[in-house]
Order: sequence, then C-alpha cells, then structure tokens
Amino acid sequence: MGFRSRRPANPAMQALLPLLTTLLPVLYGLSAAGYARVYLAEPGVLEGTRGQSGGPFLLRAAVVVHVLYLAARGYMEGHLPLASVYDFLSATGFSLAVVYLYVEMRQRIRTTGIFVIPLVFFLQVISSAYGGSTAALKPPLKPIWFELHTLAAVLGYSAFVVSAIYGVLFLKLYRDIKANRLSFFYARMPSLETLGRMNVSAAGAGLVFLALAILMGMGWARVTGVRFLGDPKTWLTIAAWMVLGFAVLAYHRLGWRGPRAVYASLAGFTTLVLSRFAVDLFFHSFHTFR
Amino acid sequence: MDAAAPLDLLCVGLNHETSPLEVRDALVMNEAEVERAIQALRERGAAEALVLSTCNRTEVYARGAAIEDPLAFVAALFREIKGMDLTGKEGRFLYTYREPESVRHFLRVACGLDSQVLGEPQITGQVKEALSVAARSGGSGPVIDRLLDAALRAAKRARSETAIGQGPVSSAYAAVGLAAKVMGSLAEKRLLVIGAGETAALAAVHFRDAGVTRIMVANRGRERAEAFAKAHGARVVSLEALPVVLPGADIVVSATASPGTIVREEMVRSAMKIRKNRSLLFLDLAVPRDVDPQVARLPNVFLHDLDALGGIVAQSLAHRRAEVPKVEAIVEEELARFLRWHRSLAVVPTVTAFRTRVETIAKEELERHKPRFKSEDHASLEALVHGIVQKLLHRPTTRLTRADEKDPEGIARIDAVRDLFGIDEEDSDADRNPR
Repeated sequence: MGFRSRRPANPAMQALLPLLTTLLPVLYGLSAAGYARVYLAEPGVLEGTRGQSGGPFLLRAAVVVHVLYLAARGYMEGHLPLASVYDFLSATGFSLAVVYLYVEMRQRIRTTGIFVIPLVFFLQVISSAYGGSTAALKPPLKPIWFELHTLAAVLGYSAFVVSAIYGVLFLKLYRDIKANRLSFFYARMPSLETLGRMNVSAAGAGLVFLALAILMGMGWARVTGVRFLGDPKTWLTIAAWMVLGFAVLAYHRLGWRGPRAVYASLAGFTTLVLSRFAVDLFFHSFHTFR
Repeated sequence: MDAAAPLDLLCVGLNHETSPLEVRDALVMNEAEVERAIQALRERGAAEALVLSTCNRTEVYARGAAIEDPLAFVAALFREIKGMDLTGKEGRFLYTYREPESVRHFLRVACGLDSQVLGEPQITGQVKEALSVAARSGGSGPVIDRLLDAALRAAKRARSETAIGQGPVSSAYAAVGLAAKVMGSLAEKRLLVIGAGETAALAAVHFRDAGVTRIMVANRGRERAEAFAKAHGARVVSLEALPVVLPGADIVVSATASPGTIVREEMVRSAMKIRKNRSLLFLDLAVPRDVDPQVARLPNVFLHDLDALGGIVAQSLAHRRAEVPKVEAIVEEELARFLRWHRSLAVVPTVTAFRTRVETIAKEELERHKPRFKSEDHASLEALVHGIVQKLLHRPTTRLTRADEKDPEGIARIDAVRDLFGIDEEDSDADRNPR
C-alpha cells in the first residue's frame, strides 16, 4: 500500500473550500438556534409547524455540506482531513452531528438538540477560524485504512459523548421527578424511558464504530509490524469498550432500566475519557502522534 | 360612503361566574327547548338567533330582534321554557352585551377564556353544536355563520399559537401526564387501581383515554370491585393478593378510604426485585395516604400524592393565565376582521365596487386588443364592449340595489357578490370556512 500525495492545485476546489469553511459554522449555528427555539417554546405550541422543523432541516443541510467539505479537502490533500488538531475538531463536530441525527430520527424527539448541536457549532467555529492550512499527513497516518481507523474512532468517541449527554439528561429528569421538581426542564424533556433509549442507542452506535476502529487498528499494526499488545492505550480502550458493551447488553438482555443502566453507560464513558488522559500523562504509547 | 346596517347583535345570558350551580343546572336546555327559544326570538323579529346552553352557561344571541328590554324578554323566555323565574333579585344573574361586546364575548367564550377551566377545549365543540341546532331551527344566517367562522378560527389560533390549552388542569389529568413523562407511551402499560370509588373511577377513565387497556382493580368490597371492573373493562384482583399482583403493574393508582397504609415499603422492594427494577409509578390519591412515603426512596420507584399533583395543576393553571393576553390579542384581531367584513356589507359601496371591477376589466381588455383593429373601427369596438358590459351588469345591479342589508337573504346576496367578484381580497377561502 503506497502513500498518497497531494493533487495539483484545482482552482474550482480552491475557490470552493473557503466558502464551505465559512458556510459550515453558519449552518450549524442556525441549526442550534432552531433547536433552541423548539426547546424554549411552550410545549405543543410549535408541534407540527415549520417552526419545529427549522433546526433539524438546517442540521441535515450542514451535515451534507460537511461531507462535501471533507470530500473536497480529501481530494485536494490526497488523505482524509485528520492531520491537525483543528481537522480533528471539525471531524468530531461532524461525528457528533451524525450520531445525534441518527438518535433523533430513531426516537423522533427534537427537544434535546439544544444539548448537542451548540457543541458541534462551537467545535466547527474553532476549526473554521483557526484551521484551514492543509497540513501534510504524518507518515504513520498515511495508509488509507489507518485514516479510516481514525475516522471510526472519532465517530465512536462522538457517539459515546452523545450517549453521555443523554445519560446526564436522564439523571437530571429522574431526580426532578423523584423530588417533584416539575418545571421548565421537565416540561420540555421526552419521557424517562425515551431518554434511556436514546442513551443506549447512541452507546450502541459508539460500540460499533469503536469496534471497527479497534479491529482496523489491530489489522494495520499486524501488517506494519507495530507492537500493539503492549500498548496501554489499546488495552484501556478495549477495557472501556467492554464496560460500555456490558451496559448495552445489560439494557437489552438483562432488562436493566433506570439510573442503574445509565450509571453503567456513564462508567464506560468515564473509563474511555480517563484512558485518554492516563495514556497521555502516565504512559508511553505509540498512539500519540506529536 | 354609505355604511352597512348596524350589526344589532344582542347577547343575554348567565354563566358560572354570575350564577350558582343550581341555577345553571336548572337552565340547561335540550335541543327541543333551544328550538322553542329560537322560534320565540324569530317571532319577535330576530333575523338570526343562536342559543348556547351548557353546564357552565346559557346564553341567547339574537340579531335584529326588536326588543326594548332584552333582560326582561330573555327572563320571560326562561320562565316560559324552563319554569325558572329570573326577574327581581334573581335578575342579577343575567348579563347583557350589545355589539361589539357581544361579538367579543362570543369569541372569548369559543377560545375558552370565559370557561370555568381556563382554555378548556370542550367549548369549541359546544359552540359548533349550538350552530347546528340553530341551523335546524331556522335561526342561522350569514351573520351568525360568519361569526361562528370567526370564533372557530380564533379558537384554532389560540390553541396553535399560544399555550392556553397546554398542561393538566385536574389531578387525574396530571396523574396521566406524569405517567407519560416517566414511561412514555402508556399503551402497553398495566394499571393497578386500588379502590373502586369515584376518584379511582375518574383516574381509570383518564388512563383509558390515554391508551391504557390492561387494568386491574383491587377493592375491599368484592361487589364494588366487580361493578368497577364491568364499567372500566378491568380485571378484579383480591386486595389480599396485592403483594402477588404488584410486580405485574407499571402504574398504581390508590384511592381508598383506608385509615392506614395499604402499600408498604417491603412489599414494593420485593416487587421491584421481581420486576428487575423496571420503573414503577405510584399515584396516591387518598387522604390519609395509602402508600408508605418511604417507598419513594427506592430506585426507579416514583411516588406522587395529591399535594404533588395539585402542585402540577396549579403550575399549569398559572402558565395558562400567563397566556391570556396573547389569546385576548387574537380575539381582538378576529373581532376587527369580523366587524370589517360586516361594514363591507353596505349595498351602495358594493354595487359601486362591483361595477368598477367589471368595467375596469372590460377597459383593460379593450386596450389590449385595440391594436388588432383598424383605427376607424375603434369607436364601434368601444361601443360594442360598453353595450355588452352594461347589459351584463344591469340585472345584478338592480337585484343588488334591492337587497336589504338587514335581511339575511340580502346580506347573503351582497356577501356572495363580494366573494364571487373578489371585491374583498383580504378574505381567502380558508378564512371563510375554517371548519
């Protein structure tokens, strides 16, 4: 598998890229505003009206534009745009939006977009404002399927972030109902059962993507001869995957519901986050590409 | 510019704010009695009449009736039809509105602003039914029809543009809302009702309306439990078997007259083990409480009593009250639109507008096609077009001029001409028939 090189400059692409770079945060911002409007409106007032569909429509448009952006950058640079930290932020924002859309479409709930899409907007603003330079891909990242491994990992992590957000919303609503605090937040949230399903749906999607990332990473390591068996990040990631896998299994097979199920998924998410920091701070891993 | 004939819409009636329940109960009219009332109003010269009679109000609306003392007339009508004397001191229960207040009042009633439960939706159906009866009794006409259109449009806007109808306004509704917030769809959930009294029955009705089909009832008296089960499609279970049936219930409504608790913490703890910790909601509508408050400490068990449900209702009513100014604004908009329509019903301006519209079209077409003819033929062409237009306009103009602005037939004719020839551009077809 050879390394791919950058293509010669294409004037049309060069003109298109700045437009897409600017359009992305605008679309995500407008979408976030649309979701905020749905959340702040009195329950039922916007139901079935165009006012309720503005945010989701703009989010879909933003995701389509984001795909075009990634494709254009990929075409020009000869690799997926994951070389710099700003590229990573943009890819993370994209992944969060895709995972959120998947959960929204499955559960048909729109009042929770306000808790995810502003984060996407924030990530894309930083990426669009400070990114832009088309960095060369570092040698270890160049084979295409390692790029796909990275993209799958980003999607997996993003799905777990969305799952954790729904887990927190569940716990907040659960405590409010228990304590009879039936106010603004209570009126706008879907049912506890639905929030629980959204939490586990997103975690399930994360498991699939992270599993793909782990498998692709192991395959690449075998081919290139990199020793991954002694790598702490690999093992910590696999451990986090197993904790999350157990949480999803417990929901579907053992009938776990309520705070217990959510705590299990949050434990997996916490393990994942801590593994990232633990590796960077305390261990040496080939996974850090500085 | 000539103005239309005055609207002359009168409203006389009483409601839950001006009269006690026994008076309102005594005055509720059935369809035959409403027909008699409308007949009596027509005999007194009313061109159109409508009676709105519900448990919370009985109101008479009449247009064009030559009645000097409406209060006395309507009081006499109530005495004749219902045997209820509302003269003298009892006359204080009655109120009178004339236009535009009568129109505004009707619109406010239709929007639920005048209801005992603010924003309640049943009144819209009751208003429609009142019009159906008026139509069958010969009381309806173009003005009352148009008034109903305005009222239904205002009610529809109030429900879709404001939150006046949102949120529960009774403890039973609040209980259903809470159950839906915990469990989502209630269609597959199982309800256990402990007690077979009125409160329990009301709760069962609301939960059935919300989609619950699997209901169990437990009561100390077997006979009452069986009667309850028959009335609500429930299955009877023994009160002694509560620990056995509790794991099979998702929602428990308890409303007994028991002096002590019936559902204890250890019973619920055991039930949750069997349920594998799936959510269990208790709605304790009894005083004193039937369910041990310690139950609320258990994970995934929710317990709400009358105080909690009352708090939800109070909050909901406060939200509805906050929406009243928005609904009043909608009422004012629809009132203005209705009055504007009524003012447009004058004969002379309608004839002028109609003739002007046709003559303008003829002139424009003439100018467009003139270049195809030789200039020496232009004069003949103009004369031809003028002659055709005048011949076509003659009969409608004569018929319109003879239309009586106070007569329903005359109003209908004027209104039809304005509609057919698009004289009132602001009124769309949807505006004219929001039903």
